[in-house]
Amino acid sequence: MKKVCPSADEILSRFIVSKDDVETAFHRLSTQQPKCGFGLQGVCCRLCSNGPCRVTPKSPRGVCGADADTMVARNFLRAVAAGAACYLHVVENAAGSLQAAAASGKEIQGAAVLAELAGALDLPGSDARERAGHLAGQVMDDLYRPRQKQMALTEKLAYAPRLARWRELGIIPGGAKSEVFDALVKTSTNQSSDPVDMMLHALRLGIATGIYGLELTNLLNDVLLGEPKIAAGPVGFSVVDPDYINIMVTGHQHALIGPVQEGLAAPRAIDLARQAGARGFKIIGCTCVGQDLQSRGDQNGVFAGHAGNNFTSEALLATGGVDLVLSEFNCTLPGIEEVCRQYMVAQICLDDVAKKQNAGYLPFDPGAGEETARRVVEAAVESYRQRRGRIGINVPEHGYENSLAGLSERNLRAFLGGNYKPLIELIASGRVKGLAAIVGCSNLTAGGHDVFTAGLTRELIARDILVLSAGCTSGGLENLGFMSPEAAGWAGEKLRQVCRELNIPPVLNFGPCLGIGRLEMVAAGIAAALQVDLPQLPLVLSAPQWLEEQALADGAFGLALGLPLHLALPPFITGSKLVTRVLTEDMEKLTGGRVIVEGEIVPAAEQLEAVIMQRRAALGI
Amino acid sequence: MKRIFIRPELCAGCKTCELSCLVEHCAGSSLWTIDLGDAGNQPRNTVLAGPKGVPLPLTCRHCPEPACVDACPAGAMVRNEATGLVEHRNERCVGCWMCVMACPFGLVWPSAREQKSIKCDFCGERDNPACVESCPTGALSLVETDPAGGVKEITID
Repeated sequence: MKKVCPSADEILSRFIVSKDDVETAFHRLSTQQPKCGFGLQGVCCRLCSNGPCRVTPKSPRGVCGADADTMVARNFLRAVAAGAACYLHVVENAAGSLQAAAASGKEIQGAAVLAELAGALDLPGSDARERAGHLAGQVMDDLYRPRQKQMALTEKLAYAPRLARWRELGIIPGGAKSEVFDALVKTSTNQSSDPVDMMLHALRLGIATGIYGLELTNLLNDVLLGEPKIAAGPVGFSVVDPDYINIMVTGHQHALIGPVQEGLAAPRAIDLARQAGARGFKIIGCTCVGQDLQSRGDQNGVFAGHAGNNFTSEALLATGGVDLVLSEFNCTLPGIEEVCRQYMVAQICLDDVAKKQNAGYLPFDPGAGEETARRVVEAAVESYRQRRGRIGINVPEHGYENSLAGLSERNLRAFLGGNYKPLIELIASGRVKGLAAIVGCSNLTAGGHDVFTAGLTRELIARDILVLSAGCTSGGLENLGFMSPEAAGWAGEKLRQVCRELNIPPVLNFGPCLGIGRLEMVAAGIAAALQVDLPQLPLVLSAPQWLEEQALADGAFGLALGLPLHLALPPFITGSKLVTRVLTEDMEKLTGGRVIVEGEIVPAAEQLEAVIMQRRAALGI
Repeated sequence: MKRIFIRPELCAGCKTCELSCLVEHCAGSSLWTIDLGDAGNQPRNTVLAGPKGVPLPLTCRHCPEPACVDACPAGAMVRNEATGLVEHRNERCVGCWMCVMACPFGLVWPSAREQKSIKCDFCGERDNPACVESCPTGALSLVETDPAGGVKEITID
C-alpha cells in the first residue's frame, strides 16, 4: 500500500487512494522525508562558489563571514521578492488587458466600481472607456517607476493612518518592479548583511504587493470583467459533467481566461461541440482563477463551478472528465504533466511563466481575445474526439450544491445596507466576537491537505468568530461545507443565530488569494467607520497552510498593515534569533503586526481569540 | 548485535545525521527549533570532508576492542557485552580526555557544557538511531552482525 498524505476532505482522500495508477503530491510527500534541517531553519546559503555554506554550532559563519541572521534575512527577502514579482506580473497583465479593452472600444463591465474609483483616484476622461484606460495606464506607470519615485496610487488607495505610519518608518515603496529588482541586488553575493534593513525592504515589497498585486488586480478585473456577485452555487468534483467538453483552468489571471470564457458560449463554438457529440463547453474551476470565475458568477452558462484548490488538481484530472487544461499562472503543479499524459488531456498555456513541458503555448494577446478563444475551442474539441471512449470517466460524488461565494468589499457593504455599521454593531454587541481572515494556500505539511485550515476554522467559528476566506483556503473550506447554510450549525450559539438571521454561512468566501486585497479594504472600511487604525481592530489574519513565496509577500503586506499573522509553519527563519525576534516581537512596535507561529490547531485558535479579546477590551467593547 | 553501517559513496554531505543527532540529544527541540547558534549543542556524529572533499560520514564504531575503554582510567567507558555497544557512564567520567585521544576515529569529544566526554549512545531507548532513520541517501544504515562475522541489513520503515 502506497503512503498517501491525509486530507481534511475524506472523499478526496478515498478517491486518491482508489486511483492506484496515478501518482500525486499526496503520494510524493512521504518520499521527500526527511527534510533538511538547514533548509527548514533558513541557514543554507548557495550564493557563491565557496558554498553551499550552512550554519552549525561548529561553524557559525559562512566562508564570506555571513552569520545566521544575514543568511536567513537574505533568503527571506529573496522569497518575498519572488512572491511580490508573481503578483506584480498578474497586475501588469490585468492592466494590459484593461488598456487593450479600453482602446478597442469594448464595453466596460464594472461601470459602478469604475465610477467609485474615478472619484477616489481623480481619473480624467469623458466616458467609462477613457477613464478605464487612464486607470490601467496609471497602474502601468507606477509599476515601472524607478525605486526613488513613489508610486502615485499608493497614497490614494492606502488607509490614511497606515500611510502615516509607513511614512514614519520610511517603507513607502518606490516603483514596484524596481523594488523587486533591488531586493535581488541587495540579497546577492556579498551585498547587504544588514538583516534589519532587509526586513524593512520586505515590508516595502509587502505594501507594493498588497496595493498593486492584490487590491488593484481585483479592481482592474472588476472594471474589465464585472464585479463579484454574492450567490450560492455548486462546488467540488461533482461540477464535472461528462456530457460537456470540460476545460479545467489553473492560475490566477481572470483577465486572461475572460476572453475564452466569453468565446465558449459563442454559437459557433457550441456548434462545434455538438458536432463532436457534446452538449457544449464547461469551464471547471481549479486553483485561484476558478475562485475568481466563481466570484464574478456564471455570466454565460459556461462556468460549471469551482472543483477544488491547488492540491486537488492532479486528482481532478484523474476523474477522466477533463478534456483540456488551460493554465496561465501558478498553482499549475508540474505533477499534472504526467496525469495529463495518462488521461490524454490536452494542455494549453496562455502565459509562459507557468509553461508545462507538454502544454502548447498560446501567448496571450489582450487585443486578440477572440482568436485565443477560437484556438482553445478547436484544441478542446480535438482532445474530446481523441480521448472520449478511450479513457474511463469516474467522477466521485463530491462537494456541495449551495456554497455561498462572491463576497467583495463593495457588495458586503451593500449587503449590510450601504455601510459597515450593522457589522460593527454585531461585533460591539459581542454576537460576533471578532473577525478572522483565514487566507492563503493549502499545503500537505501542516497536518495534511487543508487539515489545519479546516480545524482552525472550526475552532474559530465555534468561538463566535466570523471567518473571512481568500485563496486556496476558500477552495478547501467550501468543499468541506463551511460556506453552505448547514455550516451555521457548527458555529457558536451567538454566531449561529447571526448566520441564520442574515442567511449567511459562518465562513464568507472572498474568492482567490487576490481576495486578500478585498479583505484589507473591508478592514480599512470598518476601521474608518470606527475612526481607528487597523491594529486596533478585533481582526486577526492567519495563513495557516501557507505554501509558497507569494504567500510570504501577502504576509509581508499583512504585517505592514499591522495585523497579527498566524502561520502553522515558520517561514524558514528559525535559524536566526534576530529575524525571528523582529517578525514575532519587534514588528509590533514598528507596524503593530507580528507573526504568531503555532503548529497546533487548538492553541492557535486560543491565541487568536486572545488577540481579539485584547483588542475588544482596548476598544471598550 | 545492531551496528550502523556506513556507505560513504552514498553520502551527499547534507549533515542531516548531525542535525537529527542534535535534536535527539537536546530535550524538547525539533528540526525547526534546535539552536544552531549554541556551540554547546554538539552532535555525536560528524560528516567530514574526506580525500578530494568527498563527504565522509562518521559514527561511533562501537568497536569489539575499544581503545577508549582501554584508555579510560575512571571506568567510565564500558563495553556492554550483551549489546556490544560502548557506553559512556557520565557520572564516573573525570574529564581526563584519555578516551578522546585514544579513539582512532576521533568520535569521542570533550563536552562543551561540562568537564566530561560525550559520544554516541546509539540513541538509548529509541528503536533505531536517529541518524540512520533520517539519512536521506542510505549512506547510514542499520545491520545485524553475528559472532561469525556475518552482516545482515535491517530494513527500517
